[in-house]
Amino acid sequence: MNSFLKEYFDRRIFFCVLSLTGIGLLSIYSATFDAYAGRDFYRQLLWAVIGLFAMLSMMLLPLRWLQRNALTIFFASLSLLVLVLFAGKRVYGSQSWLGFAGLGIQPSEFVKITTMLALASFLSQSDVKATDLKDLVKTSAIVALPIALIMLQPDFGTALTFLAMFIPVLYWAGASKFLIIIIIAPAFIAAASIFGTTPFLIVLILLGAGLYKLRDENRFFAVIVFGANVVIGFFVQIVYEKLPLYQQKRIATFLDPNNDPLGAGYNVIQAKVAIGSGGLFGKGFMRGTQTQLSFIPKQWTDFIFCVPGEEFGLLGGIVVLGLFSVLLFHGVHLASTAKNKFGSLLAIGFTCLFAFHVFVNIGMSVGLMPVIGIPLPFLSYGGSSLVSYMMVAGLMMNVYANRKEY
Amino acid sequence: MIDDFGSADRRFIVRIVLAAGFAILFLRLFQLQYLNAELYGKEAEENSIRNVPKVAIRGYVYDRKGKLLIDNRPSYSVMLTPVDFDKKNLPLLTTILSMPEEMILEKIRLGRKYNAFIPTRIKRDISFAELSMLEEHKDKLYGVEIQMESKRFYPAAAHGSHLFGYAKEISDVQLEKQKDYYQPADIIGSTGIEAKYEQLLRGEKGWEFISQNAKGQIIGTFDNGKHDILPVDGVDLHLAIDGDVQAMAESLLNGRRGAVIAIDPRNGGIIALVSKPDYDLSIFSGTTPPDVWRALNTDEGIPLYNRATLTRYPPGSTFKMLLALTALDKKIIDENWKVTCPGSFRYGNKIFKCEHVHGTVNVVDAIHRSCNVFFYQLMLKVGLDEWSEMGKKFGFGKQTKVDITEENSGLMPDRNYYDRIHGKGKWTQGYLISLGIGQGEVGVTPLQLANYTAMLANKGNFYQPHALNRTYNKRTKQFSEVKVDHREVTLSDHTWELVREGMRRVVMAPGGTGAASRVPGIEVAGKTGTAQNPHGKSHAWFIGFAPFEDPKIAICVLVENVGYGGAFAAPIAGLCMEQFLYGEIIRYSKRPMKLEPNLPDEEPVAEN
Repeated sequence: MNSFLKEYFDRRIFFCVLSLTGIGLLSIYSATFDAYAGRDFYRQLLWAVIGLFAMLSMMLLPLRWLQRNALTIFFASLSLLVLVLFAGKRVYGSQSWLGFAGLGIQPSEFVKITTMLALASFLSQSDVKATDLKDLVKTSAIVALPIALIMLQPDFGTALTFLAMFIPVLYWAGASKFLIIIIIAPAFIAAASIFGTTPFLIVLILLGAGLYKLRDENRFFAVIVFGANVVIGFFVQIVYEKLPLYQQKRIATFLDPNNDPLGAGYNVIQAKVAIGSGGLFGKGFMRGTQTQLSFIPKQWTDFIFCVPGEEFGLLGGIVVLGLFSVLLFHGVHLASTAKNKFGSLLAIGFTCLFAFHVFVNIGMSVGLMPVIGIPLPFLSYGGSSLVSYMMVAGLMMNVYANRKEY
Repeated sequence: MIDDFGSADRRFIVRIVLAAGFAILFLRLFQLQYLNAELYGKEAEENSIRNVPKVAIRGYVYDRKGKLLIDNRPSYSVMLTPVDFDKKNLPLLTTILSMPEEMILEKIRLGRKYNAFIPTRIKRDISFAELSMLEEHKDKLYGVEIQMESKRFYPAAAHGSHLFGYAKEISDVQLEKQKDYYQPADIIGSTGIEAKYEQLLRGEKGWEFISQNAKGQIIGTFDNGKHDILPVDGVDLHLAIDGDVQAMAESLLNGRRGAVIAIDPRNGGIIALVSKPDYDLSIFSGTTPPDVWRALNTDEGIPLYNRATLTRYPPGSTFKMLLALTALDKKIIDENWKVTCPGSFRYGNKIFKCEHVHGTVNVVDAIHRSCNVFFYQLMLKVGLDEWSEMGKKFGFGKQTKVDITEENSGLMPDRNYYDRIHGKGKWTQGYLISLGIGQGEVGVTPLQLANYTAMLANKGNFYQPHALNRTYNKRTKQFSEVKVDHREVTLSDHTWELVREGMRRVVMAPGGTGAASRVPGIEVAGKTGTAQNPHGKSHAWFIGFAPFEDPKIAICVLVENVGYGGAFAAPIAGLCMEQFLYGEIIRYSKRPMKLEPNLPDEEPVAEN
């Protein structure tokens, strides 16, 4: 029995997910404690239980069946995104919620999973090559559809997470490294050029070094890419400076919230104060002044990391980061060892999806990242995200169980 | 091309990116939570804890007999929390408080600017009618509450306007100077004893630490109030003042302009300090309506001005004793030195008048009958320097360092002064003659003259005049006595005897000008004086002390624009001394009469 469990049940993922969800529940309890003590906590607890069942069912679904029907499931899920545009509820400026049996769900969270299934299913077909231009276009189309629908809501942050999944999956599937650089370099160059000349030059040098290393593949092309990025950098800078001052300020604030301490930067500054004041061991559960006195707006959703940060200090932060690193490195390991391409792609895609959420969300709470409203998996309050991430974890456990199958 | 699916170098790159991400986050946490933890900790604390000042109960003030002079009474203020208040209820509030709508709106606006979640004071010290109206409409006036505060109350008959002074809401100017302790709307002693002993009376503010959320809404006490600092109640003051004498002096000066100061010659304690016209201190204890304040400031009697310590007039004949003491002490004359008074004195081509033909007088007679010619001649004999030096020893020309408020230092002319005014060598002895009878440039305050009287009574002992005898600290339950400066002017017994005998005769002997200050059964000594007033009728002085052999009270009375001192000032002094020495007015129980100064109906004996 024990060896059977070890063989088919991914205890690492299960442990990490349960621990992180537990920390999340405690944090939500602490952050929302008021006259209605625990209302949000119990609601989230209920979601966690639902999520647990969803996770186990995802684990038990036949992987082959999923692979075969991924595209059908994908297109079916897209209809939800269309529905939400017409019948959805508007929350924080985005029309992303569907009322469902008295509970609100966010279809976009689940579409991430179906998109990943579709991507993995398509790319794992034996006649599809990640290096082939026609196949690349088809793959891109799979991602472009949900991204376009989500941008209509509009929900920029969630749309970005699709890219965070798509690019690593392409890379893993064997796409040319050139291609990857061509896709991601302009974004870094553009951001760096707004920050100033020095960051721009640093990114340019890194790009140059990368291209130099790849020069054997296509020397001429490398020079073209480098040149194009230089042009993009200058172009962005010129356009940025031509923008009206308020728009410049908006962009600068997005990239560095500290520029606007009373507006967009307020959350970030209060979050930093909360985390910093936690010190090494924290102020104790339910005793964080920043948390208890509601200094951080929307803390139980996007800024949930402040709670363990303030109340359990660096120790709490290390525990959370540690659990995530176990989960993510295990995910890479899983992708590397899975014998079938579909499972491997699922594992790497989901791992990178988690990584993006973790780095952007925690990075935002500690003032290193722009404020992009994406949740911290398993910790942030919200039924759809918790259930969908538990389903993702379930799928990864499924990959584990089937890792030896071809 | 080889199939590069999940190749080793791609796994490596993915792992590197993940590791880098975690490393950056960990280093950032380390920076925030270890390197900068203290900084952020302080910021978090400032964010969430609000200090609410708790005002201490202001010290009480008692008189020398233990009677309460200044009390605290509850007063009610209307507070309004801007975020909670619904503007549609404004007309109701306007009607109840009978305040203009714009004024309330302005206060709400100011409060909102500071913090819309903290109650702001709309009106201080509301009436009982307003209070009950507010209570009645409580349900409609959400966001309006009543706050209990304390205000000064004066239970005794004595006004003590200039003596006690007022404590009122701190002004911007005062606040600017003492920002470390005071806050807007704090009460601060602004004049008199309230100002001088502000530090003792106010006690120490306490602090309550309250947790607040990001919007400034109060969540509750911080850490169960463990860090709260209790206010320390103000120290009680026990004054040398006799409330009854103070009240009597005030009532006797009613309708006049002037001052009364009585000093205990045994220690310098001020028994009474009155300046008239005065005003009702209670108008400052709540809110002061602007028109009342304007009226006080524009009144031509200048009620806010403390004549007792600030006004400066020539001392007139009350200064004759100073010249006599100087001459006797320096052995320039003795009791056998005599002058014949023909009714006037000619110096050069100037005639200096005496009101009577006194015949031949010695120093005692000259004081008794107030002969000017004697002192004209004596002044020429003594000279400016000796006289001036003696005057300074008696505290003239400089502040007495009384513990009340600002005081005028007066003017005791000396050689330097004359050189400065007239030029060196450009003034002659003739300039000095009128100084001998206390006229001319010499200027004294009633307080200085009272102090001089006390020194005549106790034979040369200067005690710094003081209203405060001792303080009582309610926390330590201890009294502490006030220490005052003491110095002595040593003159021979014989000198004192002659001068004081002159003063005794002024009151007690026939032909004296101070008979009106007599007290039944007690020997009184005194001297009348008239301060010439170029603008109108002269000001009347009277100084005196009693009992003659063992003086317990020395008094100086100034009544402005009434003419002769004997007629107007002396009776006031007599009644005050009687009240002090007997604790009541006994003359009426023996011979019933109205309680008012016993004014003579005939033209009094002139002095100057």
